[in-house]
Parts: sequence; C-alpha cells; structure tokens
Amino acid sequence: MTDDETFRAALREFLDEYAPGKAPRGAAERLAFQKTWAATKFDHGFAGPSWPREHGGMDLPFTQQVIYNQEMARFRVPKHPGTGWEMVGPTLIEHGTSAQRERYLKPMLRGDEVWAQGFSEPDAGSDLPALRTTARRNGDHYVVAGQKVWNTNAEKADMCFILARTGTRESRQDGISYLLVDAHAPGVTIRPIRDMADREHFCEIHFDDVRVPVTDRVGEENRGWRIARSTLGHERSAGALTQAAFYRRIVDELIALARARGAHHDVGVRRRLADFDARVRVMGVHAARTIEAIAASGEPGPTSSISRLYNSTFEQELHEFAVDLLGPYGLLTKDDAETIQKGRWSTGWLATRASTIGAGTAEIQRNTIAEQVLGLPHDPAMPKR
Amino acid sequence: MQITFTREQEDLRAVLRGFLAENSDVRALIDGEGGHDPHLWRRMAGEIGVQGLAIPERYGGAGGTSAELCVVFEELGRTLAGGAMLGTIGMAVPALLASGTGGLQAELLSGIADGSLVAAVAVAESDGSWDLPRPATKACPATGSFLLEGAKYFVPDGMVADLFLVSAATPDGPALFAVLGDAAGLSRTAHATVDRTRGLARIDFASTPAWLLEMGTHALEEALDHGRAALAAEQAGGAQHCLEMAVEYAKSRHQFGRPIGSFQAIKHHAADMLVAVESARSAAYYASLAPQEDPSRLSIAATTAQVCCSQAYTHVAAETIQIHGGIGFTWEHDAHLYYKRAKSDEVLLGGPDWHRDRLARLIGIVEEDTDD
Repeated sequence: MTDDETFRAALREFLDEYAPGKAPRGAAERLAFQKTWAATKFDHGFAGPSWPREHGGMDLPFTQQVIYNQEMARFRVPKHPGTGWEMVGPTLIEHGTSAQRERYLKPMLRGDEVWAQGFSEPDAGSDLPALRTTARRNGDHYVVAGQKVWNTNAEKADMCFILARTGTRESRQDGISYLLVDAHAPGVTIRPIRDMADREHFCEIHFDDVRVPVTDRVGEENRGWRIARSTLGHERSAGALTQAAFYRRIVDELIALARARGAHHDVGVRRRLADFDARVRVMGVHAARTIEAIAASGEPGPTSSISRLYNSTFEQELHEFAVDLLGPYGLLTKDDAETIQKGRWSTGWLATRASTIGAGTAEIQRNTIAEQVLGLPHDPAMPKR
Repeated sequence: MQITFTREQEDLRAVLRGFLAENSDVRALIDGEGGHDPHLWRRMAGEIGVQGLAIPERYGGAGGTSAELCVVFEELGRTLAGGAMLGTIGMAVPALLASGTGGLQAELLSGIADGSLVAAVAVAESDGSWDLPRPATKACPATGSFLLEGAKYFVPDGMVADLFLVSAATPDGPALFAVLGDAAGLSRTAHATVDRTRGLARIDFASTPAWLLEMGTHALEEALDHGRAALAAEQAGGAQHCLEMAVEYAKSRHQFGRPIGSFQAIKHHAADMLVAVESARSAAYYASLAPQEDPSRLSIAATTAQVCCSQAYTHVAAETIQIHGGIGFTWEHDAHLYYKRAKSDEVLLGGPDWHRDRLARLIGIVEEDTDD
C-alpha cells in the first residue's frame, strides 16, 4: 500500500470506531457533542490535518489533507466548534509568539476553548479598513471599546480574535492591530441576532472598555491588517473537494425528491435538474484543479478564486428551484405537520441569501477577481488597497 | 480524478500556440472556402503531426490520447483556425478506431495521419437533428458494397472533405459507411452560414457507392462523444481568447478620463466572464480526461461539457462585444467571429437543451426510453 492508502485505512479504522453519528437536539447539547468529538480526534492524533505536530496537529502532506477531508465528510462527523482552527489557528502558527502558541493552540484544536471572529462592524462591512473599534494602550494592556457584528457562533465563544484600531481615526489599514480577547472578560457582551431563516447563528459583540493584555496582540501594533488577510491559508482549498461532494449529495437528494413526487415528467423540471447535475460535476473539477495546482506549485490557481462565486450562485439557484418545485409545500416550515423533509429546502432557500453576502460580498469578490486575477486597474475613486 | 496535463502536453500547447500565432490568418479564412486552409493543414501534419497525434503508431500516428486532442482543440479554438480538424481528428478518427481494425480502417487512418485525407462525419439530415436511431438516408446492398440514397445536411467541412463517414439505414438497421469524396453520384452544396470560420455543406447521394464500416450506431455514438469533448475544448479556448481581448481593451480604452476597466460595471462583467471561462475549461478537461480513467464516463462527461461550454462561450463572446462597445460591432473587429463561432458550436453537435435532456436520461432522472 502507498502512504496515502495506509493513511486512509488508518483514518477509516478510527472513524469506524469513534464517529459519533447523529447530532442531538438543542444548542447546548449540540455544542457539547461537537466538543466531545473534537477532543476524541485530538486524543487519538486525528486533529488538525495541516497543523504542526508540536501544536497537536498531524502535519499531513497536502494529498492526505484532501483524504482527511473526504473521509470526514463521508462519515458526516460534526463540525469543529467555533471558527478558530482554520482562521486564527494558522495565524498564530505563522505570526504568534511562542507563549501565544503554547497557551492557545492545543485547547483550540481539542475544542476545549471555542473561538469566534470579530472583524465586521455596523459601519465597516465591505469597507473593513473603516473599522472603528478602538484599542487604547494603557501600560501593559489595551482598553478595547466598540462593537462587532455578524460573528458566527460567538454566543458559544470562550475567545475572540478581533481587529481594532490602534492608530489614528484616518489610518485605515495602517492603524489596525490583531488582538485575542477573552470572551468572558468584564465588559464583553455577546447577543445573538436572529437571522431571516429564523435561526440564531450569528451575534453582535459589544466591548465596553475591555482590558486586553498587550501580550495578546498578534504581530506588531498597527500591523494587524496584513496578518488578518493572510489568515485564510490552504485549509479551505483542501476542503474544496468536501464542498463539491456535499453539493453532489444535495443534488442527488433533490433529484430523488423530484422523482418521488413525479415532477421529473415535466421537461422543464428535468432540464433544470440536469443542468444542476452538470454544474455540480464542474464544481468537482474546479476542486480537483485547485488541489492539483497546490500540490504542483503551492499556489491554488485561478479555479480557487472563482469557486466561491460559482458555488454561492449555485446553491442559491438550487434552493430557489427546489422551492419552486415543491409549490406551496416549498414554503412549509419544519413545524408544519405536512412539511417536506423537515423544511430543509425552505430553510436552505432563505439561508443561502447569505452566501453572496458573508465573508466578502459577491460584489467585493468580483472586484478582487477583476483586479488581482485579471489585472484590471484599481478604481481611482476607491481608497488604496 | 486527475485533471492535469503532462509536461509534454504543455510543450505541445506552446508549440502549437506559437505556430498558429505566426501562421493562421482568420481573415483570409473567412474570405476563402469553408474556413479551411489546405496549406496550413499540410504544415500542421508535416511540421507538428497534429492529425496523427491520437492515431495509434501502427497506422502511422503518434499513439497519443484525448488529452493531446484537448490541448490541440483549445489552441485551435483560440484562433478559429481549426478548419476540418474537428471533423477529421475529433470525430472521424475515433469513429474509424471504434468501428474495427479492418484493412479499410487502416488505410484511411494512415491517410489521415500523414495529412493527405480530410474527413467529415455526416449525420444530421433535413430536420437538423443529431439523434441517431433512424436515418432517412438509405443504404441498399449491392455487389461488394452498398449504394447510398439520400441527403445529409450541416456536414462540417463537407465542401473540402476527401472522405465522408455517413450514417444510413440498411434493411437490417442503421449502420456507418465510408464514402470517398469523388464517389459517383455524390454532390455537394455549401450552406451559406453566419459562421464563416466553419463551412457546412449539404451532401446528396444518388446511388453512391459506400463501404460498410460497422452495423449499428456504437462507433458513431462514441465518435460523436469524442467530438463533443473536442468541441468543448475548442469552446473553452475560444472563450479564453475572448476574455483576454476584452480585458486588454478594458485596460487601454479610456472614457471619463480613466480606463473603462477601472469601473465596477466592467469589472463585474469581466469577473463573471472568468467564472464562465474557468468553468468551460473544467468541463472540457473533464470530458477529455475523465474517460481515460474510465471509458464508461465518456457520454456523461461529453454531454456535461456541452451543457456548460456552450453556455459559457456564448455568454463570454456576447460580453466581449459589449465591453468593446461600437468597435465590437464592426466587421473589422474579430469579436463577431467568436460570437458567431460560439453560436455555431452551440448547435453543432446538439444544443444545450438537447444535452440536458440526454443527461437526464444518462443519469436516470428519467428512464432511458421516455420520449415525454
């Protein structure tokens, strides 16, 4: 057996024995379930595929990171709690002090401490460099004041990684620092925000003169912007195949639903279904090309830059179509006695409105693609990048 | 799934791109006959060996694969200079290879490999359909061969082909035949078509002698799917070239005192064009490379590619005209040549809805034999 095959076999053996099955109901139970799974992975040496071993990771070659993602998706294991390990984790590995790495990385990976991101603000969305949360230096600590918003899963968080202004009001990206903040510290208030799909997945965070030790600043003062932008790493690229496999399953399930309801006899319906099927195949090829580009050159190549736009448009159209397909049943929520598949298609139809807004709107992504991939000139009316 | 090209295949791409940049002349092509340049054809055979790339060595070819063809058609698509290459190496070669190993096949393949034979595949009839089961063209058994009676429409490169592969109905069902271009009773009429870079012809047969290649439609179906994969690569290459033209223009054209490419309105069009181009490339590579791992994937991959690439190329070519503004609407600018080719590619081997219907059958959304 090759190394890859040996690795896959060992991983499957672990998953066969320990994969936890269906998630329980209730937010607290679900969080506990996620944390238990993260700890199980960690304790058996199956956490952090790309992380160095000294921080509890596996330090896998890229091909095996892909296998790792495939197998985890196949066993439908729970997500890692919070947004830490693929965002702030790699940032600390690259830019953190040894004390920060020692203190934060293992508990993050084991799920003992849940992390949330605090970047966006009410008046700094697409224009993130306009952020106004301030961190005033006072001896060996900062005093943080301001508000963050759209913080996914922050109500569960033990720690936040935030961007705050340490420079002048006008300093934009040259006056921003990257801070690690204890979510339980005095002055931190976290409130869930109900979204249009009637879920509470994201929050607003208020900082009311919160003390943050200077030792919890990542990188130099006023140099946080660049660090935040390098955060993404290649975790997402290794996950690209997982996303394609995920949508493959969704399309198959929609086709099965259409057939079960006899809707496939309509030529318009089956053409749309065939079209989604073709597009999900192309999504799989995009992922394969991204992964091969990284394996060959270390760079993810053009397909990674277009994949988010491609996938977000795809999932919106897929769910819009599913709701159309079901007619009045498409609008029943999970609480209705006649609901179809627990209202998943109506929930998805609503939830995917966020796909072209969160983590950079589709418009900002198009600007970025146009300038950074196609080399079109910067808009002189916009601030410098 | 492996979606990569080897070093040698990338070298082939570079050689061909350089050769075409220097030697192809699309303007001469559209004023000539049927988008085919016999001089360029012989040079591509002699200097690069394009025609023989995917022909086995025992027939005088290089023994390459559909991956080499993918590279070739992507490059030809960029320049619109393919001439009869799609019909000859995209479809006729796989048809001959799939239809048997007889002396006739060997002779024809050797002729294609050395550049002396231009081949065309004749399937559609007056209804314009590429559906295969019941050709109206009849093949009557005669001593030692068959005699064809009927007419084929929309035959790519029909005016310049030396060899036709023709689907026709025998008393025992449909079959595939080889007919020489100078056979008795064969006559050609050029279609006057919008896309002058790809000539189409109507071919009439009146007691025209033909050799049986294969009973049934197996070889032809396989050949058409290989043709669809090649066409997808051509579409991806054409779309890529359109995007490059549009981006270059948007960088250099100034209005309101700044390059038009600095306006978001143009940037967002361009970004969506890149999404379309990369999707077309992914789909085309899938159609050419996935069947190498598993030949049973050919039909699904080829049909998927036609759904995606047709839509992408037509969209990108239209946006290219839009970004160019007035100059893009002129005969002088090349944008219209790509726009027309995009549309003629779209309908050539079954349009997007035809392929959606086919995909729905192939993957079991509807049962194979449903007509509703």
